[in-house]
Amino acid sequence: MNVHAASGDTWGIPGPTFLRLYLAAAAVLVALSVWHRLRRPASASDAVSGPLDPQQAAYLNGGPRLAVHAAVGGLRGAGAIGVGPDRRLLTTGPAPTGLTPLDQAVHWAAHQRARAGELPQDQRVRTALDQLRAGLEQRGLLLSHQRRTAARHWALGLVGLLAIGGYRFFTGLSNGRPVGYLMLAMFAVLAAVLVLWRVPDRTRAGRAALRDLRRQHTHLAPASSPAFATYGAAGAAMGVALYGTASLWALDPGFAEQAEIQRQAASGSGWSSGGTSGDGGGSSCSGGSSCGGGGGCGGGGGCGG
Amino acid sequence: MTGPYGVGIGWRPEIAGFVAELPGLRFVEVVAESVPATGPLPPGLAQLRERALTVVPHGVRLSLGGAEPVDPARVAHLAAVAQRVDAPLVSEHIAFVRAGGLEAGHLLPLPRSREAVDAVCANVARAQADLPVPIALEPIAALVDWPDDELDEADFLTEILDRTGALLLLDVANVHANARNRGTDPLALLDRLPLERVGYVHVAGGAERGGFYHDTHTDPVPPAVLELVGALCARRRPPALLLERDGDYPPAAELRAELDALAAAANFPAVT
Repeated sequence: MNVHAASGDTWGIPGPTFLRLYLAAAAVLVALSVWHRLRRPASASDAVSGPLDPQQAAYLNGGPRLAVHAAVGGLRGAGAIGVGPDRRLLTTGPAPTGLTPLDQAVHWAAHQRARAGELPQDQRVRTALDQLRAGLEQRGLLLSHQRRTAARHWALGLVGLLAIGGYRFFTGLSNGRPVGYLMLAMFAVLAAVLVLWRVPDRTRAGRAALRDLRRQHTHLAPASSPAFATYGAAGAAMGVALYGTASLWALDPGFAEQAEIQRQAASGSGWSSGGTSGDGGGSSCSGGSSCGGGGGCGGGGGCGG
Repeated sequence: MTGPYGVGIGWRPEIAGFVAELPGLRFVEVVAESVPATGPLPPGLAQLRERALTVVPHGVRLSLGGAEPVDPARVAHLAAVAQRVDAPLVSEHIAFVRAGGLEAGHLLPLPRSREAVDAVCANVARAQADLPVPIALEPIAALVDWPDDELDEADFLTEILDRTGALLLLDVANVHANARNRGTDPLALLDRLPLERVGYVHVAGGAERGGFYHDTHTDPVPPAVLELVGALCARRRPPALLLERDGDYPPAAELRAELDALAAAANFPAVT
């Protein structure tokens, strides 16, 4: 590679100089992006603290669908809902006291004979889920749409860098200049883009909160075959929240089967929400199918029994 | 390392969260074979140890009543578990679970013969030699007696306890079951047992089925068993009572009520 500026240099900049500048710019953007992520969200307020309730834990762990399942588990554990032979939910009495908005919405939907799988699309349920999400965002446990977008700004800068590199690559190529090192540098930038474009929905605080909850509730893990009759409605809801619908199957296999609740273990490997509260539930777990994108709620068959 | 005192409950993974939240609990019993000799303790159990609760390992597979010598590896495991949980004593059954190399899978009663007493005493002595703490022996419930019994229950137990120096783990539900199924008087047995040797007492639920009382451990404690606890305490109150529940776990409120009823029957402080 020619270290002297020569008339053949693309854009009049010698290759090594360009590479140095290029990599320096990439490093600055990566550093800014990482710094942006590690910084404590300004919106996280310490005023709203206290332990997470099972539905908040469920939303944090497995998104809107798991939050709905936690509510179903709690209501079933309390004996407030059942399922008919037509596989639609039903209520077995008036709503118990002390219900969360999501409980109330699910109870109402059950009263309207909704199917368990349709609950996340129910209007009231969606409203309650949005509230749940907003609460978690406020506590700094989930990233809001704005903050996710902001977190991607620096990655966007890297994409720009990639474009510049690409332009120079083809220009250099057509002028017969060596481009091998530039190509390598672009691969590095591409890798950085791919890594930094993924903004986990859960914040560090959110992941820590989930870890703490799991530590406090090891007795609800399927490995302990927890006695949900003893732990009651709250235990059933927290079991679903932290360990997935496998807990719902352990609680009441007849109900879970009849209501067509999918048997899943929430592994805590995370879920990715495509959307936000505004755009329709934003569940990564689509309809009846098993959870797709983003290494979602799967984590391998039920651990029931 | 204090001896078991007051009302306790059998620790099982299924109800670990319930047990952990009993504010007044001072002791639990744990099935020795469910605790690993090395590696981490089950999480709920480790938590109780941090709270300095007394944990008594309860063996079910030693087969002290077997004709062949106890398996040293099983004794070593029981000893290791006792050390791990800093137990003041361990307990096992006067029963056999295997014979001639065959595993029965559950506890079988011994004929109450002099030969059986010798066999049990030899095995208890072998176990005691390797155990770091005293052992309490629990007689088991049997639906019928062996035809060639030479001793009655009280003499059989007293003989074994005298010769081994072991403590007695008296199961009040078994006493009720045996008396009920044979038409004998449970109080007469209590009167003849060495109650000063009782390390602690088991209480469990059961159910009447087909004319027999079954010591199921999965049903509520019936009033008759609670009354027998009261009668026992009137004679000599044991240091501790332990509720055994092994399945079909009821709502927390019902389990708490059972623990409260036990405490009331023995005039121990409530643990709930």
